[in-house]
Amino acid sequence: MKRGDQLQGTLELLILKTLEREPNHGFGITLHVQTVSDGLLRVEEGSLYPALHRLDRDKLIEGEWRQTPNGRRARIYALTAAGKKRLREAEANWTTVAKGVQRVLRVV
Amino acid sequence: MKRVFAWWRRRRSEAWQEEIDSHLALRAEWNQAHGIAPEEARRQARRQFGNSLATLEAVRAVYVRPWVETLVQDCRYALRGFRKAPAFSAVAIATIAIGVGAASAVFSAIDPVLFRPLPYPKDEQLVSVGYSAPVDNYEFHIVSSYLDWRQHQTAFQSLTAMRPGGQCDLVAGETVLQLGCVAVEDNFLQTFGVQPLLGRSFRPEEDRPHAPTVLLISYGLWQRVFGGDPHILGRLVTLDEEHSRIVGVLPRGFEMPQLGNPDVLLPARLDDSLPRSANSSSMLRAFARLRDGVTMEQAREQMQPLFEQALRLDVPAELRSEVRLVIRSLRDRQIHEVKLASWMLLGAVVALLLIACANVANLLLARAASRRRELALRAAIGASGARLARQMLTESLVLGLAGGAAGCGVAWALLRFSVRLAPEGLIRLEQARIDLRVLGFALAVSIGSAVLFGMAAAVERPRAETLAGSRAPGMGRTWFRKSLVAAQVALSLMLLAGASLFLRSLWKLENQPLGFRPERLVTASFTLRRHRYQPAAAQAAFFRELEARLASIPGAGPFAVSDSIPPRGSMGRPYSNIRIAGHRALAANGGMVAFRRVTPGYFQALGISILAGRPFTESDRASGEWPVILSATLARRMFGNENPIGQRIALDGAGAWSMVVGVAADAKNNGISAPADPEYYRLRMNDGRGVGREGVALFRSGLDPASLTLWIRRELAGLDPTLPVTVETMETRVGRFAERPRFVATLVALFAGIGLLLAGVGLYGVLSFLVSQRTQEIGVRMALGAQARDIALQVQGYAAVWTGIGVVLGLAGALALTRTVRGLLYDVVPGDPISLSLAVMALAAIAALAAWIPAHRAARVDPVVALRQQ
Repeated sequence: MKRGDQLQGTLELLILKTLEREPNHGFGITLHVQTVSDGLLRVEEGSLYPALHRLDRDKLIEGEWRQTPNGRRARIYALTAAGKKRLREAEANWTTVAKGVQRVLRVV
Repeated sequence: MKRVFAWWRRRRSEAWQEEIDSHLALRAEWNQAHGIAPEEARRQARRQFGNSLATLEAVRAVYVRPWVETLVQDCRYALRGFRKAPAFSAVAIATIAIGVGAASAVFSAIDPVLFRPLPYPKDEQLVSVGYSAPVDNYEFHIVSSYLDWRQHQTAFQSLTAMRPGGQCDLVAGETVLQLGCVAVEDNFLQTFGVQPLLGRSFRPEEDRPHAPTVLLISYGLWQRVFGGDPHILGRLVTLDEEHSRIVGVLPRGFEMPQLGNPDVLLPARLDDSLPRSANSSSMLRAFARLRDGVTMEQAREQMQPLFEQALRLDVPAELRSEVRLVIRSLRDRQIHEVKLASWMLLGAVVALLLIACANVANLLLARAASRRRELALRAAIGASGARLARQMLTESLVLGLAGGAAGCGVAWALLRFSVRLAPEGLIRLEQARIDLRVLGFALAVSIGSAVLFGMAAAVERPRAETLAGSRAPGMGRTWFRKSLVAAQVALSLMLLAGASLFLRSLWKLENQPLGFRPERLVTASFTLRRHRYQPAAAQAAFFRELEARLASIPGAGPFAVSDSIPPRGSMGRPYSNIRIAGHRALAANGGMVAFRRVTPGYFQALGISILAGRPFTESDRASGEWPVILSATLARRMFGNENPIGQRIALDGAGAWSMVVGVAADAKNNGISAPADPEYYRLRMNDGRGVGREGVALFRSGLDPASLTLWIRRELAGLDPTLPVTVETMETRVGRFAERPRFVATLVALFAGIGLLLAGVGLYGVLSFLVSQRTQEIGVRMALGAQARDIALQVQGYAAVWTGIGVVLGLAGALALTRTVRGLLYDVVPGDPISLSLAVMALAAIAALAAWIPAHRAARVDPVVALRQQ
């Protein structure tokens, strides 16, 4: 299942990478991406949730209602085995694309 | 169902909303932790999140496939539309229900005949093997040549046989039962791939002559008589006064290859030590299983030498040219008589279904015409043509499925009616029911017809200019609708033609001269038990006593005793075996001659007239002579213009000479649809000649048949209380022979009637539509001076043209198709002008009626009102 939309693919990569560290809820994911990228990347909630549900539907991640450490109910997502595999592929793919783009940029 | 879906949808939406709420709460908490006031923290969280409704929709879109959404939307839209037009929906659904229902009912009846696998594994390998000869409608075998074949054949995996017919008396404890018993070879069950439910099949040593009897009993008998006793194996019972051991129980629903469910199977115990002549007069039915990959043609070729050898050894030279080898599939053997009728009924019901589809297509087109503005509007605000076409198809599918569901009810009712009408109308008819297979068929037919009539409605693309005004419908489309009507008329004429042919044929069949008078004649038939009436003298004594009792019939009337009665024949003897004293031998190829052994009262009791000579008399019965009476056909065939009375003839190869004392009129003796076979009558003599175990008492009197039935039962019970007797009137007996033609004729007539009604409604609908579309035009013409009569005539003219075209097409179709059902007709030719004219007249009458109403509505158009509508 290749998605033509590179941006969407990037968002999914970011989500999968974030969840690889530890299971997290939607808000946690936005926060993590923003923090780790030093505020360079911001995940829009309007795109985040459809993306999460797409990954959930495709069984790459698994959502479950749980209590957060400070006592709130939230839907926590965790990576599945298929999700891990997809993450490996997406990472390799991203590296290749990034390298390629960088070379092109250097030449021009 | 709908509610469950709604609940589920709501639950899911709530979960998504909760997730969003939880996100907002977490963000607000985080904001607060960074020193923002609670109120402001929540506000910012919401602002950051953006449009939560849009997000919710986007999440929903992840799960819902777009086409499902569209389909649901279309279905809802269709249902709303149908609710708004209840009359339209009711008529459309009822029409589909009739079409689908009739088709499904017929399918459920013929499915076991034509399509469903037979209840044996690899049933396509099973064949029936035998000789075809004029003696029997079905192929048969004879023991002597069967024994040769069994030993030498290589064409089949296995060859097996059974003795035809067979009844036996079973004594189990206190009860005596007369059962259906069939003697089969030891490899019979194995050839058909059937395993006994309990116990085992016969062993070869049990299938030898004089071996002690062992039995396989049916599941039904096991349950009924032995209470399903699991320790039944090895039980001893008395079968025809012989101790017999039960060795197995047949599986539930076990069916014999020639149909029928016997109670008991016993070994055939064919005896190859008997002289060939003894074995060649004993009949068998033989079946075989083809080897893997061997076709029936190949098997036939391989069997040809054995067949020719058997002909030489067992068949008299003069009969050989009439005997053929038959190897045909078991299914063909089983459906022999009903194959043509089954296909014909299927064809009739398909015609009915097509008429129904044309009607619904017409209804949908009329509806589309009144909806063109709505559709044009939807097209104008952006619905694609494909989207609109798809919606039209969805609407038809919804209609089709609703009609199909109602059709299952119609099918059930029709099936009940059919089984009631004639249980013997088709084989396995009583087994027909609405099961999954039939429901699947109904579903497929509903969808198929929905696509068919939906296409008609969907081809019409709404054009934007339709929005502009109320132009009359384009020529193209009314042309299409009129052709639909013509097609309906054609189809319904074909059905009518078929129906009138079958009805006429049935009428002729039931009103033909039978050669005897069945009115008020009561018959009681029985077979004396072999073991109870062992010396022939005991049989003669029984019949003497029976005649004495018949003589005192209440109300006094004619009576007779025979061994068989019309309209069925006897086994018959070859014509060429008869010899005439002082004449040359009779021609070979004469076919078979039926014969009966009767008492002197036979001709009077049955009302068969004696054309020449005299009937038998009481004094004949005591004489040493054995007189004979010939049927008119036989006398003509044997003697031509010579006078047969007083001639001496020998009736079988070894027999003594008999004198012909009379010639009787022909009486049906081969069913009621075939012409009478030649026949002769012998007298039941006082010394026991001509008396056997078969007996039929027949008598008539002024009393009503019901009380006579009771009387004869009592008299026979007085003679032998254990003797099972079948008592029925001759009219019932004869009526049974017309059962299948009556079944076919009734169903086709029913379908034709419905088809005619539907075609009439179709014509009416189209004409009404034309009139309502042209109200203004008619108004203008009337304002300009046209007479009401001219307007009415014009509308009727339309009807006449399109009906006329339909009639021409229908007649051509009827002539072509009725030819194929020639085999189902009696004394009527397929192109019978009377039947065809009757059909055309019925159709014309309905068409005239259908045209009359709209024509008169058109004639009553008030020009003022019509023009004001502008």
